[in-house]
Amino acid sequence: MADLVPSRIEVRDLTLMYGHDTVLDALNLPIPRGKVTVLAGPNGCGKSTLLRAIRRLHTGQKGQILLDNVDIASLGAKDLARQIGLLAQNPSAPPDMTVEELVRLGRYPHQAMLQPWSERDGAAVNRAMDGTGVTGLKTRRIGSLSGGQLQRAWIAMVLAQETDVICLDEPVNHLDMAHQLDCLDLVSKLNQEDGRTIVLVLHDLNLAARYADQLVFVHEGRVRALGQPEELMKPELLAEVFEVDAAIMTDPVHGRPICIPRGRARAAVQEVA
Amino acid sequence: MVSTLAMSPQSQGLRLGPPQVYAGLILLLALSMLMSLTLGYKIYSLDQVWMALFAHDGSEAAVVIAGLRLPRALIAPLAGAALGMAGVMVQTLSRNRIASPDTLGLNAGASLAVVVASIMLGVQSLAGLSLAAAFGAFVTAIVVFGVAASAGGLSPLKIVLVGVTFASLSHAFVEVLLTSNEAQLQQLLFWLSGAFVDRPIALFYNGLPVVIVGGIIGIGLSRALDALQADDSTAAGLGVPLAAVRGLAFVAVALLTGAAVSMAGPVAFVGLVVPHAARRLVGLRHIHQLPAAALFGAVYATLADVAARFVIYPVEAPVGAITAVVGAIVLLVLLMRRAA
Repeated sequence: MADLVPSRIEVRDLTLMYGHDTVLDALNLPIPRGKVTVLAGPNGCGKSTLLRAIRRLHTGQKGQILLDNVDIASLGAKDLARQIGLLAQNPSAPPDMTVEELVRLGRYPHQAMLQPWSERDGAAVNRAMDGTGVTGLKTRRIGSLSGGQLQRAWIAMVLAQETDVICLDEPVNHLDMAHQLDCLDLVSKLNQEDGRTIVLVLHDLNLAARYADQLVFVHEGRVRALGQPEELMKPELLAEVFEVDAAIMTDPVHGRPICIPRGRARAAVQEVA
Repeated sequence: MVSTLAMSPQSQGLRLGPPQVYAGLILLLALSMLMSLTLGYKIYSLDQVWMALFAHDGSEAAVVIAGLRLPRALIAPLAGAALGMAGVMVQTLSRNRIASPDTLGLNAGASLAVVVASIMLGVQSLAGLSLAAAFGAFVTAIVVFGVAASAGGLSPLKIVLVGVTFASLSHAFVEVLLTSNEAQLQQLLFWLSGAFVDRPIALFYNGLPVVIVGGIIGIGLSRALDALQADDSTAAGLGVPLAAVRGLAFVAVALLTGAAVSMAGPVAFVGLVVPHAARRLVGLRHIHQLPAAALFGAVYATLADVAARFVIYPVEAPVGAITAVVGAIVLLVLLMRRAA
């Protein structure tokens, strides 16, 4: 946090409750500008809630989320939507909606109530569809797409929003291995070519280590550790956060750390027994 | 990957643009209104219609056309347009393609208000009953929306569940009241199945501004409604103020349904069938879906009203029975397709 480059987003002392359950507990997190930040952690650790809170989809929270040093609570709904885009977990839309109709939804925050569709809107939609390779599918109904095509169409919808920050909540769930890589390569391209700030929630630790500039381990509503994947992929930390006993190796192709779980961590097993 | 996607076949053939669809529907509407003026127990010529409307000569034909045929040729399309637009918004709000103003209990609430007004308050005039109907639909809308909202979250599922519950409750009260007041049963039965016959033209003039206001609210919300077709997280992520949009759209639905019910009684299933046709014709964007539903609903209700004059000729059938039969068939087809 002593970075000279100010963070794009700064989460400060964020506490969030569901009824009496504390989901996020005075959580602090800097999200660096123009980097890919991946939130990882076990089920129920609060990582999706954190992502949604960054997009201000939760109310009744304590603490602050600063976007370029401005509290997002003070921003208008459309104003915020022009700065932070969100691909929700398992998003849905009517199956008879066409790909183009879906992608056009991304223009909502850029349009006044009865303002006609502008050239800029059209250009943004075309760019989004080109960038995700769905231009050829634009008249197809989304119910007829394969899982990989559908996820690309949804990413195109978020891209049409033209936000500098993009949050994606488990975007590769339900995708096969090839399409997982396809989708994450696309996200990585958005970061590298356009310098966008990306915040991803990922379940697969090896994918997280491969795509993250900054990896964040969320555990029991707090940030347990953050840093480069090499710093975080340590057996002791994985045992504590994920309750797995894992060997860490270096991926010979990408040079990124990968983990190979042997089984549940011993401490956790004793706890269960 | 990208190139294989680009070569995927397109799933649709030629689609008419919205302007052509509108032009076609307006032509159809003009034709069906003309049919409504000429066809019936007696069939009149176009000359007679022209005379009755623009050079009233006091003849029997002119009296029937101007006094009886004209009101229904105006009221049927207006009520159909209102129910079509209300149906589009209800289906979007509930994210349920088999929802309609009936599902939200609005027609049932209107029926209950009419029966209560007639039996307990002694209201006899058609104007009084119409007012009661509009009042009933509006109050039901507010109650359903309020209960769903206080039950937390205003989720589409909750709105429908509360609506269906209120519909059943209202129907139960209507039946209790009717069976204990057999004398008024005959008189109310025709009203309760919905009809355009024997309505004073004043109802049209009262309903028109309400329908226009409801339609304008809908068009104003069209982009937000487009986004609401996606899930709540996505819509909120796009910056749509969910509660405000749902609340306003509900007001529009209440105005439109209230106006339709005040003119024609609870005409069943129009709001269910029409949105499907509208989406087929112009796609899913509400800026086109709503006008197309208004036009198609107008044509549909007018033709149903013409058909009602002939199915049990020379007696007139309630138009609600016609739309209910057509609607039930469409509903079954939709359900079977979904199951397949």
